[in-house]
Amino acid sequence: MKIEDVVCTFCGCLCDDLVVEVDGRRVVSVENGCTLANEKFMGDHRLQSPIRRNGKGWEHISYDDAIRETAEILCDADRPILYGWSGTHGEAQSIGIHLAELLGALVDNTSTVCHGPSILAIQEVGHPGCTLGQVKNRADVVVYWGTNPIDAHPRHMSRYTTFADGFFLKEAFRDRRLIVVDVRKTESANIADEFITIEPGGDYAVLSALRAIVRGKREIIPPSVSGVSREQLFRVADLLLSAKFGAIFFGLGLTMSPGKYKNVRNAIELTEELSRHTKYTISPMRGHWNVYGSNEVFTWITGYPYAVDFARGIAFYNPGETTSVDVLRRKECDACLVVGSDPGAHFPKACAEHLARIPTIQIDPHTNATTHLSRIQIPVAVTGIDAEGTAYRMDGVPIRTRMLFKGEYPSDTEILERLYTLVKEAKGP
Amino acid sequence: MRVILRTKPRKKPFIPIEAEAIIPQNFLRKNDITVYEGNKERKLDEIFYITTEGPAVSPDQVEIVLSGETGRIKRVGEYMNAGRIVIEGDIGMHCGNFMSAGEIIIKGNADAWLGREMRGGIIRCEGNASHYCAAGYRGEKRGMRGGIVQVMGNAGDFTAEYLSGGEVTIHGDCGDLPGVEMRGGTLIIGGNCRRPCGNMTGGICMIFGKADAMLPTFRNTGSEEKEYGGHHHRMTMYRGDIANRGKGTLLVKIN
Repeated sequence: MKIEDVVCTFCGCLCDDLVVEVDGRRVVSVENGCTLANEKFMGDHRLQSPIRRNGKGWEHISYDDAIRETAEILCDADRPILYGWSGTHGEAQSIGIHLAELLGALVDNTSTVCHGPSILAIQEVGHPGCTLGQVKNRADVVVYWGTNPIDAHPRHMSRYTTFADGFFLKEAFRDRRLIVVDVRKTESANIADEFITIEPGGDYAVLSALRAIVRGKREIIPPSVSGVSREQLFRVADLLLSAKFGAIFFGLGLTMSPGKYKNVRNAIELTEELSRHTKYTISPMRGHWNVYGSNEVFTWITGYPYAVDFARGIAFYNPGETTSVDVLRRKECDACLVVGSDPGAHFPKACAEHLARIPTIQIDPHTNATTHLSRIQIPVAVTGIDAEGTAYRMDGVPIRTRMLFKGEYPSDTEILERLYTLVKEAKGP
Repeated sequence: MRVILRTKPRKKPFIPIEAEAIIPQNFLRKNDITVYEGNKERKLDEIFYITTEGPAVSPDQVEIVLSGETGRIKRVGEYMNAGRIVIEGDIGMHCGNFMSAGEIIIKGNADAWLGREMRGGIIRCEGNASHYCAAGYRGEKRGMRGGIVQVMGNAGDFTAEYLSGGEVTIHGDCGDLPGVEMRGGTLIIGGNCRRPCGNMTGGICMIFGKADAMLPTFRNTGSEEKEYGGHHHRMTMYRGDIANRGKGTLLVKIN
């Protein structure tokens, strides 16, 4: 059976035009998807049932036992942490936050290692953003700063920018100008009209210089700024100012290099400066398919987008103090529940070591690096294949993912609801 | 009155303690003081051996001495408005948050956000201070607004972010972006630092070591002589941050 308009749950683009052929409980082909989507839908390495360490190795256990033991571990902890959430749907994220409140736990999502600094910058100076539809139909100058969409978001250019014809840009490839800024020449840089090679950690200075140039203060710019010549900076500033509608996209090259959120703030302030002359918007290139959703769900329930500490019964937020990397590095937490993420692969070594030291439980369809640090793993259905739910695209547009067939695994929502019920019983009224 | 708080051994010593109740005025009233250890509320005597010496009739006559494993105790001296706190070793995050008067002496190192959004009083740290020393809370437009912070050792990144008033002196080195977004007050750095005063709009920053990776958006306006550590130094004077129409003053020693 061929199913049309399937939503891909891999990256923040949430492409919703895939055609997937299903044979019973098996995906047999994917059309319109990128390489990443094909691997996501066609991959067949699911964990068969819940597993637990028994001192010698792994043993298979029932879902009931796995959930009961998880509840006991979390209830006994003085500083539990519930981490991940960006690889699951909004309904499950919502239960997770209520569970954290019940436990007096710290709840954090993967923004902590990706666009958390972008959110900090947005909290300082706001977010002049727009939907990807606006970019597709209007943007005649596109900037990718510290991001390589051809590798990380393979269909971003073909659906929304360089290769996508829009309402006001009938021949996008010729009509749009592309600027790429990075520390090395990437695949995306190869097709740019202007490629700026920046010294590592030099983004803040280059952004400050561009802001001064756009303000008309060209005379103070030195001959070279972080490896970028004054002539190229002037040329790029002129190109930016020539736009009728400009769109800036930025990635982890900006958020995770020295300066972090101050880099993003500077980029937002450049956007605002450019908007004094023409129209400009700026958007983060979000990674996990529902990381934006986790920020939305966290915010509407707790008031904060990530790194929320319920230890004292009320929500407290202070990235650097309540972010999971910092908490793990300082060995603060004494139990961890991981949902829809793989911190074993993404976190620094000291954090992974602490995860291995404390009781860590993972809820995830597949075995991964975190499995090796965990005490229990509970397999679940994959959202967008055998489970459904709401996700948010990188521009904040909510999209309902579809269930392609009814599988044998429970969804994240079902597991978390059962866990919540057990914890609530243990905590009493 | 002198109150000595010595930490008791803990089963889980890495779990932080939130102790904003440890301020002189609370000990004057002898209320039941509680702190949080992780998600559990504890009485003060569950965490500390407590010794009290002498009387006091006002908070400024109260001195609190903290000793033992104090490096994980957060928010000591928050909203303090009189008296004195002496910390014999290290102290956790947010020491002296919003304090308006009194004195805090730290004989070891201070963790991040020392003197966050401080309004008045004195903090003296004899060791090093971590990131965001004398800065503001996330999203806050004004950091430290008054008082004095002195760090005898080094300080981390984003020192005196959003500084709006008062005087911050770091006698050692600073990390990245000290004085970023500063809009008032005085920041003195005795050692080296990197990318000082990005986006500053006001205030004065003096650097008596080396400033690495100076931002391109500061205008050289001449030189001036300043005194630090009993010596006079010739300083290059910059105005900026031009990127932000800033009117701040940045002085860097001519090496």
